[in-house]
Amino acid sequence: MSSDVLEVAGLWAHWRAKPVLRGIDLRLAPREFVALLGPNGSGKTTLLRCIAGLEDPTAGTIRLQGRSVEATPVHRRGIGLLAQDPALFPGRTVAENIAYGLELRRIPPAEIAARVGLLADLLRLRPLLHRRPEALSGGEHQRVALARTLAPGPALVLLDEPFAAVDARLRSELLVGFREALRATDTAALLVTHDLEEGFFLADRVYILLDGSIAQHGTAGAVFDRPASPDVARFLGYNVVVDEGVTWAVDPSELSITPGAEGEAAATVVADGAIGRERRTELRLPDGTHLLARRPMGSPPLPAGASATVAWARVRPIGGGLEPSARTDPLDPSRRPQREG
Amino acid sequence: MRRVPPLLYLAPAAAVVVLVALVPVGLLVARAFADAPSGLAEVLGDPLDRAAIGNSAVQGVASAAGAVAAGYPLGIWLGRYAGWGRSAVRAVVLVPFLLPSVVMAFAVEGLFGPTGFVGLPLPALRVLGGGVGGIVIANVAFNLPIVALLTAAGVESSPAELEEAAASLGAGPLRRFRDVWGPPSLAGAIAGGLLTFVFSALAFAAPIVLCGARCYTIEARIWSLDTILLQPTAAALLAFVLVVLLVAPTLAYLELARRLRRAGPRGRSVRRPVRGAGPWAITVGAMVGLGLLLAVIGAVVLRSIDPSGGSAPDLSGWTTLGAPALALRTGIPLGAAALNTVAFATASALTALLLGVVAGFALVERPAAGRLLQLVAFVPLLLSPVVLAFALSSVGRAVVGTEGVWALVVGSQTVLALPFALQTLAVPLRHRPRTGREAARVLGAGPFRAYLDADVAGVRSAVGAAALFAFAISLGEFTATYFLTSVSAARFATLPVLLYELQSPGVRAFAAADALAAVLVVLSVVVLAVVGWGGRRLEL
Repeated sequence: MSSDVLEVAGLWAHWRAKPVLRGIDLRLAPREFVALLGPNGSGKTTLLRCIAGLEDPTAGTIRLQGRSVEATPVHRRGIGLLAQDPALFPGRTVAENIAYGLELRRIPPAEIAARVGLLADLLRLRPLLHRRPEALSGGEHQRVALARTLAPGPALVLLDEPFAAVDARLRSELLVGFREALRATDTAALLVTHDLEEGFFLADRVYILLDGSIAQHGTAGAVFDRPASPDVARFLGYNVVVDEGVTWAVDPSELSITPGAEGEAAATVVADGAIGRERRTELRLPDGTHLLARRPMGSPPLPAGASATVAWARVRPIGGGLEPSARTDPLDPSRRPQREG
Repeated sequence: MRRVPPLLYLAPAAAVVVLVALVPVGLLVARAFADAPSGLAEVLGDPLDRAAIGNSAVQGVASAAGAVAAGYPLGIWLGRYAGWGRSAVRAVVLVPFLLPSVVMAFAVEGLFGPTGFVGLPLPALRVLGGGVGGIVIANVAFNLPIVALLTAAGVESSPAELEEAAASLGAGPLRRFRDVWGPPSLAGAIAGGLLTFVFSALAFAAPIVLCGARCYTIEARIWSLDTILLQPTAAALLAFVLVVLLVAPTLAYLELARRLRRAGPRGRSVRRPVRGAGPWAITVGAMVGLGLLLAVIGAVVLRSIDPSGGSAPDLSGWTTLGAPALALRTGIPLGAAALNTVAFATASALTALLLGVVAGFALVERPAAGRLLQLVAFVPLLLSPVVLAFALSSVGRAVVGTEGVWALVVGSQTVLALPFALQTLAVPLRHRPRTGREAARVLGAGPFRAYLDADVAGVRSAVGAAALFAFAISLGEFTATYFLTSVSAARFATLPVLLYELQSPGVRAFAAADALAAVLVVLSVVVLAVVGWGGRRLEL
């Protein structure tokens, strides 16, 4: 039997007969932190909700700690779920919110109190235990929600963009706190986010989901070093260029620009401006390719419409990742078995 | 130029309520206390008055319990589950509430009475075609929409995120009901039950049509004391007792309704598929409630083509409805009644709408004005149609004379429709973002102009719904209009009053009454279809 805490195989989901997930395969080892990255509408949340049991997949299997759970209702799957909306019970104090899942499992009160205290210390909630949710800040809400999720001791926690509604500074603080708490409780986590920084910073491995399919997975370094496809490269923020018939990924900070046109690499400046400690320049090549360059702050400004010559110091190969899924849509009528006459 | 304080925009609506309702009722009661200082004790000691108080209590409690039992599953089904025809059901559910109360009494008689569609083949059920049983059934059918829609509002106020969080922590369906969506749905049902109690304790047409003097509620007793027994002082004192008795349940309803509005909808509202034993049980319960409503509505329409129940179709009711001979007997020509109905309902709806739109400005500028708006809406709920009409008849007639009774009818219908028009407008206005208004202000619009262009224009469908809702309520208003027009002002009678007169002991044109009742049902359905077509929900 597999030792994975989560094993998803060939998962399909549809919305009004249109495929949202197309044969997803995904695995999580115990205590592993995996990020599921993808643009809006790529199917990330649907995948998470199928794993949680909040939506029904059309086909495929989901195994939690080796146990098939497709027929198990959400409240018996024993996994934690933390969404963007912390959804605390308004009539309960922080302590009562954290204790909720333990009460449902009929844990003795002394044990509940001990567990609540432990999580309160871990997530710095001790002074807030007797407050009601309406008296908490946004970050405190999320920390209470995580404590409540971790309290029953799930082997896996699903995190659905839990930091989307908090500001950048607080987000970074919460990220560190969450990671520490998950490590301290030996909990595996699957984080859904479209924020690359958030996902790559937290995760041991990442999965890239594009248009309902897993386009690439691996460690952050491996994914960044060799994007599996031009779409993945673009999602990761690379420029995609074709040089001598080969497609490459170029980091915007590794693009050098010289004023004045010269040969095939002549480009037109679309926009140029300073952002923080760097200068951001948008360009268009004669074939219509759009390029983004990040230049050091001291670089000369370029007026829109000016010509420039573009060169790249380093390129990364594209490809060699996952093959496109060969599975067919289970709802595709042309694939259904025909009844024999 | 000094700016008009936004709260002053509540003044027109408040002034209408004060002038048309509070002042006449206050003067009536003050005069009664002056004429008979010890009269209150006599009223409370009178066995018939006490019986009326008892009847109001018994019929109110039984009707509220029945409406909650029948309306709660329907409300849950509407608020929680996805299903084919849910929008159509939502529209159908409101039909009985907009029907004249006298039509509802007819419907119950036509369903469970001795010649009714159910009463004829099943004599054991005739107990529901008249007497207290019939009154309770009529009240339940009339008020079931309130319970169902307030329950649905409660269910919808419970965010899906909270339920999903509870489920992921291990809460099963029953525990999720207990901890997440049960309490708001029950709050909605209780609010609906309280409103049902108030409306049923005030029932007028059902006790008169289905039972008679032994079942009179306080409303019917007030009418009887004033118009039949000619004891206006005793009637006024009983009206005072009625108002006092209604304060607590009305306040309780308003508080629950306020909490429901504050509570939601806060997060995602998700329609779930009907799957599993619990949802199926709820669906079956919902269909029972819906079946009662459809039976009642259907009985009215069927009776119009089959007045004797079960025999061959008979269209004599339709052919005699407009006959001059019938007009002579009732004293109310059909054409005049139809014209009055449309004219009064139009005038009342437009007035209520205008007051609502002006009051809405106070709400968007000062959200705290919601409390004051509730107070304005509270008075008409507290003053029953009979008390309002009695006061207008006693005090207002001295001012406007018999020729001006139409103004009293329009005034009373406006006041009775105002709470619903205000509510239908207030809910979407409260959720309007201020950005549109601010953009208009920056471009040079004055505060009220900015409100009209950005907010009122943004809730056009709600404005239309409020107007139609007020129109439908005025169209079906029977109690106050009957009280005001029955004494030497028959030329201002409306269709619901004509309907009552058609079956009165002196006329007994039952077939024509059945046909007219069907006309009123069709009119209500048309109004609701128009509102539904505009995609707007009516707010209670």
